[in-house]
Amino acid sequence: MSSTLIKCFNLAKTVGTVTFKSLLTTSQNQLPAWRPAVVGGVLKCGLHTTQCARQERKEPLMEFFDNPKHWSENEVKVGRAWKLDELRIKSNKDLHQLWYILLKERNMLYTMEHECNDKMEIFPNPERIDKVKISMENLETVVRERNKAYHLLETGETGERPQKLVHNAFGLRCTYRSCEHVLPPFMNTKWIKSRHLGFGGRAVHKFLLQYREKLYNAKRKAKNRSRNEVMMILRRNPNFDLELLKRKFPDVEIDKLRHSDKARGHFVPKVDG
Amino acid sequence: MSTRWYPIYQRGNPQLRVFLPNFWMKLVRPTEDQPANVVTFAVSTEMTKHDVKNYLEKIYKVPVVDVRTRIALGETNRDLTYGYVTKKDDVKLAYVTMPKTEAFTFPDLFASKGEKQEKDEKSMDESKEGFRRFLDRNKKRPGTPGWFSI
Repeated sequence: MSSTLIKCFNLAKTVGTVTFKSLLTTSQNQLPAWRPAVVGGVLKCGLHTTQCARQERKEPLMEFFDNPKHWSENEVKVGRAWKLDELRIKSNKDLHQLWYILLKERNMLYTMEHECNDKMEIFPNPERIDKVKISMENLETVVRERNKAYHLLETGETGERPQKLVHNAFGLRCTYRSCEHVLPPFMNTKWIKSRHLGFGGRAVHKFLLQYREKLYNAKRKAKNRSRNEVMMILRRNPNFDLELLKRKFPDVEIDKLRHSDKARGHFVPKVDG
Repeated sequence: MSTRWYPIYQRGNPQLRVFLPNFWMKLVRPTEDQPANVVTFAVSTEMTKHDVKNYLEKIYKVPVVDVRTRIALGETNRDLTYGYVTKKDDVKLAYVTMPKTEAFTFPDLFASKGEKQEKDEKSMDESKEGFRRFLDRNKKRPGTPGWFSI
């Protein structure tokens, strides 16, 4: 992992130098306030802390702090997070640059939050962290989509990490995400010995029985609850809209319940004819 | 994603590249006195010393000479009523040494907060006073609008 980071950051070097005009063409009118918050440093908008540091390069560590203007503020106004559709029309390079900007923004917010908590001060607008997180998630989704499309086109596979459903030692199903190994499984005797996949023992059998009973009871109780609810509704409101009831409780046999004793109100029933 | 799914490195393989690193780092105020060129960071627990060095050098352009790390145990707390134990997350602390020529002092973020608060309180008091005067003036004629009096 250590050596991996060395080269991957080469692209990140461009982050500080490239202006973000292409990134801002769409977001200019939609993100009036968020723009300065996230990409302000690059854009020289003057709302982000890292701006001065990045321009002067005197104190690179000041990029970990918010703009000194905001230090004593109780409210810092920002816009919304980046949406999926906005990110989908960006080029790979733009996304890569935006990732590092968001990463720096998140580090800055974490630093400020930590210091505020330490000094028993209010951290202004903590939802900024969530907005950055949402933006990063969306960005990753877009990159993943592209990755998948590329792999499907080139290799016919998604390129995602392969995973499968397996039973664990308790006999419960769980997903196993496979990874690379030095030895193939049949040669890895140590691993074979350490594997306890048999779950046919008496204790596990008993556990599974009770576990399933618990699941079944939850299901049964939910079913009874909705059944009783329907009956009570019908008892209090004899002329209730049945279609609505059927839509709301699709599992309950409403036509059958209508004539049941419990669903009858405390009045003399009308006899036809 | 495939860039986050690390294959085993074997000699001759191409170097692994991470295009979207999701490590976080935060600059924290040192609890003990440190030399001027030592900075304390709280970092993602999975980061190694080399990761910290590369992260700072490549993303933040901070010259790094040495990195020492330790994992600080999260605080445990026993609930007074029910006796269960809660624990905060462990955090990795990285002590980063910069060259001798560099110096960093943790800034005082809330120095001007007191003044600002006083100013705010003053203006609030003034507006309160103004409203009280308005109420006094209109005591004998309730319900009259503010523009009515001369």
